[in-house]
Amino acid sequence: MKEARVVVVAAGVVSPLGFGLVETLEALRAGRDCVGGVTRFDVEQCRCKTAGQIADERLFDHRPKGRKGKRLHRASQMMICALGEALAQDSRFEPDLTVIGTTSGGMSFGQNYYRALHRHDELRHAPGWIANYPPQKPVIDAQDAFGISAPCQVIANACASGTNAIGHAFECVRSGKYERVLAGGYDALSELVFVGFDSLQAATPERCRPFDRNRTGMVLGEGAAILALENLEHAQARGARIWAEITGYGISTDNFHLTQPDPSGTGPRQAMERAVASAGVRAEAIDYINAHGTATPFNDAAEGKAIAELFGHVPISSTKGMMGHSLGAAGAIEAIFCLLALEHQFLPPNINFRGGDEAIDLNIIANASRPAKIDIVLSNSFGFGGTNASIVIQKFAA
Amino acid sequence: MSLRIAGMGWVTPLGRGIQAVWERLLAGEEASAQLISDSLQEQKYPFFPVPSSVLKDLPPHPRLRRASPISRFAAAAGLDALKGARSITLIEGRELDLGKIDRGRVALIFAVSNGGVVYTKRFYHDVAVSGAQSASPLLFPETVFNAPASHLAAILGITGATYTVVGDGAVGILAMLMAEDLMMNAGIDFSLVVGAEEADWLLCDAYRKWRLLKMQPPIELFRRPPRGMILSEGAGAILLARDGPIAVDKIHAGANFSRRNEASERIVRILSDLGDERAKILVTSANGTFVDLAEETAVLREMSDATIYSLKPALGESVGASAIWQVIVAAQSLRTKRLPPLLHVDPGNIGKLSPASGKETPAGAAIVLSCGLNQQVAGLRLSI
Repeated sequence: MKEARVVVVAAGVVSPLGFGLVETLEALRAGRDCVGGVTRFDVEQCRCKTAGQIADERLFDHRPKGRKGKRLHRASQMMICALGEALAQDSRFEPDLTVIGTTSGGMSFGQNYYRALHRHDELRHAPGWIANYPPQKPVIDAQDAFGISAPCQVIANACASGTNAIGHAFECVRSGKYERVLAGGYDALSELVFVGFDSLQAATPERCRPFDRNRTGMVLGEGAAILALENLEHAQARGARIWAEITGYGISTDNFHLTQPDPSGTGPRQAMERAVASAGVRAEAIDYINAHGTATPFNDAAEGKAIAELFGHVPISSTKGMMGHSLGAAGAIEAIFCLLALEHQFLPPNINFRGGDEAIDLNIIANASRPAKIDIVLSNSFGFGGTNASIVIQKFAA
Repeated sequence: MSLRIAGMGWVTPLGRGIQAVWERLLAGEEASAQLISDSLQEQKYPFFPVPSSVLKDLPPHPRLRRASPISRFAAAAGLDALKGARSITLIEGRELDLGKIDRGRVALIFAVSNGGVVYTKRFYHDVAVSGAQSASPLLFPETVFNAPASHLAAILGITGATYTVVGDGAVGILAMLMAEDLMMNAGIDFSLVVGAEEADWLLCDAYRKWRLLKMQPPIELFRRPPRGMILSEGAGAILLARDGPIAVDKIHAGANFSRRNEASERIVRILSDLGDERAKILVTSANGTFVDLAEETAVLREMSDATIYSLKPALGESVGASAIWQVIVAAQSLRTKRLPPLLHVDPGNIGKLSPASGKETPAGAAIVLSCGLNQQVAGLRLSI
């Protein structure tokens, strides 16, 4: 079967950088630091006290009216925002399948339930918490809000989930089996996950400084992003606006450790090699890499090593310094950053950067965005469990 | 594209191994329920546990040292599925040599619903009782949904695609769909689909609060009003290849239902799409909840002459593992031309449906239907 070309015909995003593509572009270009003190739960006992957060008041503006809207988890509200923006761009997009990445679903509802049990509190709200806790629920809620009932595949590959979702959706369309697939990711900040990363000392009490020689760890973020992928021929036939083309996807599993990457960078390297091969381009053709770059010492060293070996001096940035690591949403949100970079021809910045590792020679886009001619970009996401994913996105050329 | 079942593994409250569990089901046996308790509340709940004896011969591996039960169940089922494929001719007449499989060309797709709830509860308990400073860095990684898949990939040496798919009881079918999609890629020779779940008091309490859990066995199907289900645990594994004795003819990705009364209409669409004159067997997900009525209504409309079977009265509701267990039952029914007897169904409740009686049930194809408890439905058809 002839492989189909796969294009992005619509996109939507909500993150600490803003609601929608316009606000996101502005913050991304400005290199805005959107990380602040955690307000959602008590972090007094944690080393890390900051995160990238989305204001509830703005989310409430987007949720469905009535009792049902009030019961929805914040993650559902984020998904509704992101999907709403994408469908506003292309109201005729009817997906055959929806593939979404997440790590924690409606985790805070699970926490509410457990705390209520522990304190012997009133459990009147328990059925609502339990019914709205599962990871597929925000996806179904968002589809429901717009009258969509496509089957949902929810991928939980830790921090690689969002890129895995886009990559799998891409392969589904490329194979010719599906014409249109919604892909993306979401995650809402939760106490359990925050405390977990803090316990691992992966989260930093300082600023998040990806690829900096004195980096001390990550900060968490949250958000949701949706990309509408379509077979090029069908998109053109119905006159859809084409944002960009996805041309490659690579996935690998390294079995080194449940939480630590193989220091050799083998897993990330394999994922990037496979993505570039899948795109049918040479490594030298890549104009920009949106790195996973969590700012933990081990991750950045392994990823940096693999990038330097494969791509030499290509411009790279991790955008997590601006908004934190949104886990299952990260790959999808960063794919949208790549779309914006391609559309507006600039390189997104790696903020809070003071100087790189002497052992790894990387071309970091330090602290400020800059204009550039870019045609092909690569976006990386790597996660717990040794899951590694990379996608190649290109400026569309008929 | 040809998608076939080349090997299967089964870890259940009735034991481990395809043949062993199948024989017990054919004999009309059912698992023994035990009561589970927790210091959180006095209430105890029944559940169907996997007997610890069935994992005694699980090979030691560093990844399993601290792993929770779900990872052990998955490892046992996954290894059994590969072992079960040894004797099957797989590729162009060549025997499968496990040692020679390129592990980069094997995909692992892991289906789960509740995940590592035992360690998640322990982790959060410490936080809730003593604050964030008590959070355990050893427990936290095991709370992540893809921890069991990571352990299994490490044990099997898989370096290619590994996916954890999350959903309700239908997630096993969605994982089979993902395997089918991955197998369209010539770079993948095999897909190992594993569904697993572990039970815990917290889950029982949650499903009880959600008004879906029954307080004592048995699970009675098709009662009006429904009395509820009982949770169980375990794993199922299916090795998919391009050659093998049982064909996965068609997978219906299903749909979502916003309200429970919409489920039946979604199921009708699935059965209509999967319907085939050879399909005389229907393995349903009936579990003593609202699912039963939804399935009954749809089956009477679309497949009224099929012999129906649900394994949930015998093995309990294993949620993330359940659809994979159903696929195993369907494959075994086609291979052995028999279906176990449908347990705990009152003739007065089942109406015009044709329940499996334990007698010979020859069929060229079987349909697996999964209606989850949280808005997802999907199905597939196997043939021999």
